[in-house]
Amino acid sequence: MSTPTDDSTAASEGRDRTVDRTKNTFVGDAWVNFKRWNLKAVRNPFVLVVSLVQPIIFLVLFTEVFGNVAGRAVSEGLPGVGYETYLVPAIAIQVALAAAVTSGIGLVNDIENGMFEKVLVSPMNRTAVFVGKTAAEVFRIAVQVSIILGLGVALGAEINSGIVGAAGIVAVGILFSLWFVALSNSLAILTRDQESTIIAANLLQFPLLFLSSAFLPLSTLPGWIQTFARLNPVTYGVDAARSLMLDRDVMTVIEVSWFGGTLDGVVPGLAVLAGLDLVLGAVAVFLLARASSSDVQ
Amino acid sequence: MTDPQPAARREDGHDPAAVDRSGPAAIDVSGLELTYSDGTEAVRNVDLTVPEGEFFGFLGPNGAGKTTTIKVFATLLSPTGGEVRVNGFDVTAEPRKVRESIGYMAQETSVDPELTARENIRFACEAYGVPKSERADRVDELLDLVDLADVAGKEAEEFSGGMQKRLDAATALVHRPPLVFLDEPTTGLDPKARNRLWEYFRRINDEGTTIFLTTQYLEEADQLCDRLAVILDGEIVAEGSPEDLKQQVGGEVLDVELEGGEAARQEAADIAEQFDRFDDATVTETEDGISVTTRQARQHGTDLLVALRDAGFTVTGFNVHAPTLDDVFLAITGEELDSEAAEEAEL
Repeated sequence: MSTPTDDSTAASEGRDRTVDRTKNTFVGDAWVNFKRWNLKAVRNPFVLVVSLVQPIIFLVLFTEVFGNVAGRAVSEGLPGVGYETYLVPAIAIQVALAAAVTSGIGLVNDIENGMFEKVLVSPMNRTAVFVGKTAAEVFRIAVQVSIILGLGVALGAEINSGIVGAAGIVAVGILFSLWFVALSNSLAILTRDQESTIIAANLLQFPLLFLSSAFLPLSTLPGWIQTFARLNPVTYGVDAARSLMLDRDVMTVIEVSWFGGTLDGVVPGLAVLAGLDLVLGAVAVFLLARASSSDVQ
Repeated sequence: MTDPQPAARREDGHDPAAVDRSGPAAIDVSGLELTYSDGTEAVRNVDLTVPEGEFFGFLGPNGAGKTTTIKVFATLLSPTGGEVRVNGFDVTAEPRKVRESIGYMAQETSVDPELTARENIRFACEAYGVPKSERADRVDELLDLVDLADVAGKEAEEFSGGMQKRLDAATALVHRPPLVFLDEPTTGLDPKARNRLWEYFRRINDEGTTIFLTTQYLEEADQLCDRLAVILDGEIVAEGSPEDLKQQVGGEVLDVELEGGEAARQEAADIAEQFDRFDDATVTETEDGISVTTRQARQHGTDLLVALRDAGFTVTGFNVHAPTLDDVFLAITGEELDSEAAEEAEL
């Protein structure tokens, strides 16, 4: 097939068109993957919309159906705060949670359609690959939380801390989402199955949301729910976001008075979430490293 | 048609270590072993050298260790023993250098279904560091090479299996690798799609690219490969050109279906073995008759059928064909593949 003549022609051709290879860099590799996942998200607007629809339904239904009753419970502890205002930070966290579920689904799809292996066999930095994917998801979560905040304001909610507080709530949403992103990716690696990942992640979603301070003040809930809520990451995310929304310390679980004011409600929540992100992130990184180094079958 | 992939080879600039080597092998393997954590010995003591520019075939049935071996070469699996150098780089010590210098096409078609053909190739260009100024041309060149220019803007999920395979092949070539691994690239494709892929592979090999291909199909190996290794149960059992291997089979194969049980088959086999029109015939009993391998299968096959009829046998079917992988194995190892693998091996 390849004769010596062919070889030499080809070789000289190669020399003529010598192409410098651009070195792979961490940032470059992350950026390439960031772009791919954003492109996929845009190609698949259905997922973008669906992951927003449920929280929006919650926002509208809860304020309309429970607004009167729940509003009274809320105003006992927080006089002058409307239920819309109380609820919007919780919905923002719900959006972050719902969007994080799809992260693992993306990974399972990648494993199924061979792109996971294709990426592993390329010279790209493997950590950068996942940093890029996660960054795309975080970007999407930021957009979606912003949409919810805008919608909430349109429905009559007030962000007392203004535009800085709104940005803060987006940041809380992102920090909150990371542990669930890690969890859903871990589930994806362990199950390698789209349905199992979706079911497991969705099963977790509702108990996490309802057994927390998301929809009603903790003090109005039964004792066992209060106990669970104190261990529930959602409570920390919601309370931190809500402190920003109301511009006062409404953290229900950890009482600190380091800063005096709003930050006393925000910082402990963020600290807990950051710790959780690190732990679950480490688990996901471990599982990913194991999956990519050996038994990719 | 734009220029197909030229052989970037060592002149690519990113492989200075190999330039000094006098005639380095594209693949150099000694004592490769891979035992999975569950104790399965997928590959045992494989020695292999593939010189640059060769079209090399790795032939074997399902589960023989082909994919395991190719994954070791592509740095997806770590060998548990032995030394593997790909383009001069050790796969365990310098996996990144290996990855930069090879193209790899997995057995399962690997494309992102949500991206268009163009976007899939562009992503691969970025992943393999094709310089920005080159990218647009390279993408067009590859779309032309695999005849997907007309549908470049369509999402890959709309493509047929054959088109996806071609797209997959294009993405493996973006960086003009001097060595390309193809893991059963045509399995599951119709003959037309298969022939088309063969044409691309031949073309890039003609340009000087070394190709390492695994296949279950003797015909595929025969059509494409300069040299073959036959792998069975994780061990290389034969090596040589397709001609060499067919020589070992010693001709073509005449399958005869007969009525009657085992006794009849045995008797018929005796007749075939002593049939004087065949010299050097190998006769085996099959499930429903006998199988005769001989150089005169086409020429004198009917004579054997007549002889069998005259001896009182009822021939219910017959077929003369070129040796299959099964026949090669039969000749090499003296034993038949298990029927499942043999079925897979039939083209």
